[in-house]
Amino acid sequence: MNKYYSTKWSLLVFAVPALLLFTVFCVYPLLPEIWMSLHRNDGFRNLGFVGLDNFKDAFSSSSFWLAHRNTYLIVGISVLIGLPLSMMLALFMDAQTPWFRRIFKTSAMFPAILSVTVVSEMWVSFYDPNWGLFNSLLKSIGLGSWTHSWLTERRTVMPSIGLSFLWQYIGLNAMLFYAGIKTIPKNYFEAALIDGANFFKVSVKITIPLLQDIIKYVLILSTLGSMAFYSQVRVMTSGGPGDVSRTVVYQMYYTAFETSEFGKGTAIAVIFILECLLISFLIQRFVAREKLEF
Amino acid sequence: MRILSRSFWLLVSGTFLFPLYWMISISLKSKDEAYNNPFGIPRSWDWPNFKNALSQYHFFVYLENSTIYTAGTIVITLMAGSMLAYCLSRMQWKFSALALFYVSLGLIVPIEVVLIPLFQLLKLLHLKDSYLGLILPYSGFSIASCVLMLYAFLRSLPKELEEAACMDGANVYQTFFRIIFPIIMPALVTQCVLLFMRIWNEFPLAFIIASRDHFRPLTVGLLNFFVSVGVSDWGLIGASMLLSSLPTIIVYMVGNEKIEDALTAGAILK
Repeated sequence: MNKYYSTKWSLLVFAVPALLLFTVFCVYPLLPEIWMSLHRNDGFRNLGFVGLDNFKDAFSSSSFWLAHRNTYLIVGISVLIGLPLSMMLALFMDAQTPWFRRIFKTSAMFPAILSVTVVSEMWVSFYDPNWGLFNSLLKSIGLGSWTHSWLTERRTVMPSIGLSFLWQYIGLNAMLFYAGIKTIPKNYFEAALIDGANFFKVSVKITIPLLQDIIKYVLILSTLGSMAFYSQVRVMTSGGPGDVSRTVVYQMYYTAFETSEFGKGTAIAVIFILECLLISFLIQRFVAREKLEF
Repeated sequence: MRILSRSFWLLVSGTFLFPLYWMISISLKSKDEAYNNPFGIPRSWDWPNFKNALSQYHFFVYLENSTIYTAGTIVITLMAGSMLAYCLSRMQWKFSALALFYVSLGLIVPIEVVLIPLFQLLKLLHLKDSYLGLILPYSGFSIASCVLMLYAFLRSLPKELEEAACMDGANVYQTFFRIIFPIIMPALVTQCVLLFMRIWNEFPLAFIIASRDHFRPLTVGLLNFFVSVGVSDWGLIGASMLLSSLPTIIVYMVGNEKIEDALTAGAILK
């Protein structure tokens, strides 16, 4: 039987196409990335070895640090605000009748299936200073002084973009949590309810602790997803005003494709890859370490 | 109390469905009405925005491109991915554990970070501004999750069927395509849905690689249309947004339970 599977030819035929695709387009680019980050490169020619100068330039530019602040602000918003809200939605879904749950689920997932271009453009219209939804609402309830030109003011631009991102994926994350809740055996809850625990207590003491594997999965997914935050910024503000709303990936794109400093762009990319690896390592190491069986 | 909480949550679902209402309503408004009454119900039902959108916005070009990119990626990823998963789960091979680990590394690298060298590589291979220029990188980046999911699925399958096929004199290719392929169909459908959602809406890579209008997918084409129209004509923009979203909305209406299962499959399976 083993011999039947493993003729040399069939091994080649089955393994090589996928491994080749993966290696050429996913792994191999990391090598020229590191190499380019040590050189000056304008996108067409290599202009010589410069050692770690690209990295020094990156660390000494204020845009680089601003981009980091913005990126981690988005990570913070989606992890510290988004995930708890999603968890609440999931717990709520679980407590509903099937019919109501169906409606709620269908609508909660809807924003996540729309493309980021459509959602971001829609939010551009919400934030419009003259006729946008937010300013109109604020004016109509007499809070005209709270209105802002949301996407062009230094202080409001990043939180505004963050809110649209939060809104788009909150329902999807709730679905993931809810899928986890469904896998918990019902008798866990019944026992607690007989003991007189209320909904809140059951959620905090039973449901959430039993969901730690899913929480970890969603945490990794949304952390890495928001680390690579780019598209919303591109559509809503193009990094503006000035460099105020650039994220790390945006800064990397900008440096390479708009100022033709490919060497510096790849230096930012290399730093960023290390950050992603470090963060996924930290989550793997410190969040929910023991495996649950039930 | 129950009524109160129900209505609160209906309101919450309402905000999630708001974009649908907003796109439909603004696409029916004239330029002036879009300014004076941007979020209300349209006063008159007009269709000129759609006519203009269809003539100015290259909807069908982008639709065709998005379809080619998505279908191409799905076909290549599912074929190559299922074959590798089969090979890793069944064939005796010195490096199969290593290969599995190697492929799973693909889950950590986000596509955005290798964009610059990928751009150079595609230029070198003369694949920039071609369909394969996006399909191949998309497939490369989709292989990891596809292989891992199918590998877990195949590991749980008994080997008896294949042994029987072997007795009957089928070779390994026949066994794979005639027997294994139909059995793993549910997992393939799940992957297919996931790939559709991911590739159809992919933005960052397409924005850089498909720079010529002729090769742009819907996501990028819509942004460029948006930039060229400016914020002066929201009725027209709304119509083009609605057109661009129609394929996904239709897919979602037809298969929303399938989509839900697929999206949550990864979370439970791990």
